[in-house]
Amino acid sequence: MSETLARPTTERRWRTFADVVAFTLGINVWVSIIILPAIFVGALNATSQIAGACLPFAVLLLGLARRSEAILLGLFPAALLVPIALAPAMASSHVYGPIRFTLVAIGVVAYLFGVAFFTTFHEPPKPRSIRPLSSAHADPAERWQRRERVYWMLFAMSLVVPTTLIAWVNFDTSIAAYLGEMYPGRVALMTTALTVGAIALWLGIYLYAFLGVLRPHRTGDRDLVVTLAQARADAKSGKPRARFYLAVALALAAMAMLVLLRHAKG
Amino acid sequence: MRRYFFEILAVALIGGSLFFFKETLDYLARRDYVAALLVMVIGIAVISVGKELARLALVQRD
Repeated sequence: MSETLARPTTERRWRTFADVVAFTLGINVWVSIIILPAIFVGALNATSQIAGACLPFAVLLLGLARRSEAILLGLFPAALLVPIALAPAMASSHVYGPIRFTLVAIGVVAYLFGVAFFTTFHEPPKPRSIRPLSSAHADPAERWQRRERVYWMLFAMSLVVPTTLIAWVNFDTSIAAYLGEMYPGRVALMTTALTVGAIALWLGIYLYAFLGVLRPHRTGDRDLVVTLAQARADAKSGKPRARFYLAVALALAAMAMLVLLRHAKG
Repeated sequence: MRRYFFEILAVALIGGSLFFFKETLDYLARRDYVAALLVMVIGIAVISVGKELARLALVQRD
């Protein structure tokens, strides 16, 4: 009886904790990305700007009320871009110095990590008894260690790549000088457009390259194992495949064509 | 011995293909688009040959 009562209590405690974490970190992101820059550049004068600034907050509350990961992890970050689109100067590099950019980046990563982790992770109820298996003393199998290494690498890349891309776009003086030369008076707007481009590029890389790596893992490596076995069987013959000869022929043909072109021009 | 030969050749070919890609950029900067395309094809072909040799080196290791 006490166990059946304890389970919902634990569950409720976890949910409340996840809500508090998401709310606190979400408010931090909203204030640091929208409110403070908007006050700094004076972008809270018109009603549309105030409504735009309040939109992410409303989305955050909606996500918390529905406990929806799609809203908290997808719609809320997207809603943050609406007020920035209304006043692109909010995202310009003179608002974000390198130190402030680092702090905001840490805040965004903490929010995404906190919401992704705490909304799905639940403390399991205490087991009635524990019987250790003999395999528990052995190290994890090589394939599991390899898989863990891949996950850690993906985690590190998920932090490093977007942060580097956005920092490069915003703080590289040569890019700012080039934009100033090409688009005088619209540097903030173009920098913001480049930042959005960097985010879109990162999402594309993540979708096709990173999730591409994770997909075979999700299906239990079966497809990957079959492909590897096939590749190993092909390789056992010790001869290059047809594409080797094709590539050599293609390189020779392209070189010959280049020489002919040079001859024709000369 | 064969394995090291294949490995060195693979590294040389994959590294050497970068030269062709650099040449592609130079041709593009000079607005010679046909030559840029041809050199890029050479670069891709060379990197493919390097990849095949790397595969063979891997088999030798087993």
